[in-house]
Amino acid sequence: MMECQMSRPDPRGVFQGHAVRALAARTLRSYFESPAAYVALFVFYLLTGYLFAAPLFLIKAASLRGLIDFVPLLLAFLVPALTMGLLAEELKSGTFETLATLPLEDWDIVLGKYLGFAALHLVCVAGLLFYVLVLWLCASPAGLDRGEMLGTLLGLALTGLAFGAVGLFTSSLGKNQVVAFVAAFLVCFVLFILGKTAGLLPGGLGTVAAYLGLDAHVENLAKGVLDSRDLVYFASLVFAFLYLTVQRLQTRRF
Amino acid sequence: MILAQNLTKRFGDRTAVDHVSFDIPQGQVVGFLGPNGAGKTTTMRLLTAYLPADEGHAELAGLSVTEQPLAVRRRLGYLPEDNPLWEDLELTEALHFAGRLRGLTDDAARATRVKAVVKSCGLRREIGAKVGELSKGFRQRLGLAAAIIHDPEILILDEPTSGLDPNQVLEVRDLIRELRARKTVLISTHILPEVTATCDRVIIINAGKIVADGTPADLAGDMADKNRLHVELKGPRDDVRQALAGLSGASQVAAGESGASFVVESAAGADLREEVFRMAVRRDWPILSLRQERLSLEEIFRALTRDP
Repeated sequence: MMECQMSRPDPRGVFQGHAVRALAARTLRSYFESPAAYVALFVFYLLTGYLFAAPLFLIKAASLRGLIDFVPLLLAFLVPALTMGLLAEELKSGTFETLATLPLEDWDIVLGKYLGFAALHLVCVAGLLFYVLVLWLCASPAGLDRGEMLGTLLGLALTGLAFGAVGLFTSSLGKNQVVAFVAAFLVCFVLFILGKTAGLLPGGLGTVAAYLGLDAHVENLAKGVLDSRDLVYFASLVFAFLYLTVQRLQTRRF
Repeated sequence: MILAQNLTKRFGDRTAVDHVSFDIPQGQVVGFLGPNGAGKTTTMRLLTAYLPADEGHAELAGLSVTEQPLAVRRRLGYLPEDNPLWEDLELTEALHFAGRLRGLTDDAARATRVKAVVKSCGLRREIGAKVGELSKGFRQRLGLAAAIIHDPEILILDEPTSGLDPNQVLEVRDLIRELRARKTVLISTHILPEVTATCDRVIIINAGKIVADGTPADLAGDMADKNRLHVELKGPRDDVRQALAGLSGASQVAAGESGASFVVESAAGADLREEVFRMAVRRDWPILSLRQERLSLEEIFRALTRDP
């Protein structure tokens, strides 16, 4: 078994699935072995629960609209807290050297870490389906907009995935997790606020801000409109920051 | 198996590794010595392609480190400085994780390897403990176990015995000795008796440059500027001294520690032992002891790496 591995040609440029899976599984597991994931999940469900329940009882509005305005800001806090240690911790403890001298590409390391976070985040957002279920059971199905609700959840899921890539990048900047957290929060906050300020900016600048900001894209999804441009927006954000992370790891070697 | 040709690495103005060259054949265990900051760790990082060299060329198992880093690393077990480990894992989990990352995807095969390294590194007692709770000695063994989980041909170990107590040092040394038959090993250390006990060859580096390369015995021979022979003869003291001084090649005779002992100095490379023997037989003076002084590795190390 060993032998066939030795003679395997160098699969450069191809992801080494086994290692990506191992890293992702380990990342996900280590979340649950520290209080981090529990605290994050608690805060997330507490606030989303309130945002969901308040309009339901106060103005008898059966929708998830209340979530879309505030939850991205909540994610701008929570996601960096979950990603700040992903690489900074490895760099600090020296285990990065172990990872970096394994037969892996930097992309394998980055992708493994990212997918571990992504799995936690998606599980977290999937938990919001509970609210959909509650509405389904309590409200008259005719009054519910299924596309709107699922679009809202998709918007939150994609927002968190984009923030996660930002957080992974800032975590690669150095050994200090606080720096990683603050830097990630700043970038996420700018993405969050950019769309809201777009109307205040003059002409062309406003259009650019509107495209770069989260708001327009999340709004579209929350309306139940699945536009490939919005999906491309999120995919490019994720790819851009993962790419930057890989570049950063490569410069660490010089 | 491990080839370095003019390896050079600069950090800003400082040249950490300065045109370092050596060639380690298969099956050799080589001690890599040098004071702190001499460039040992950097050289090892160049060999493992963790850092790219500014100049020069490195090959492991005939493969270029920079052109085929993945193929090289598949054949390599590397224990980085300070033995970094994932603290939150349980001992066998840590080994399974290392195995998975190494591509041992088959569960049964991986379990066999984990069992094998747990046994060979004497870790069985600590199964179930978290890595963060292990004592320094067991951490070191775990680091070593993780480095050999894929049964590599080449091992590069950066200070595998640092911070261990003498018993633990012996255990790790035995472990390395067990590996030597099948593997090519480069070990950095500054515990010198360690090297004498485990290594076939010593490379000494100072200020980024290689200052010595050879077997411990060769180095001792090269380094000595004169030969010192300790002689203890039972005979009249003055006669003995005179007779010793009269030997051809003897440049100086000094009184030794006890009454009947002398130190005979001669030019480096000379060996007066046979002459002394014949002279003693002629005069019927029993030889109580006869010892050629050898420079210890400590003395060689100090002489070569002293600050100018």
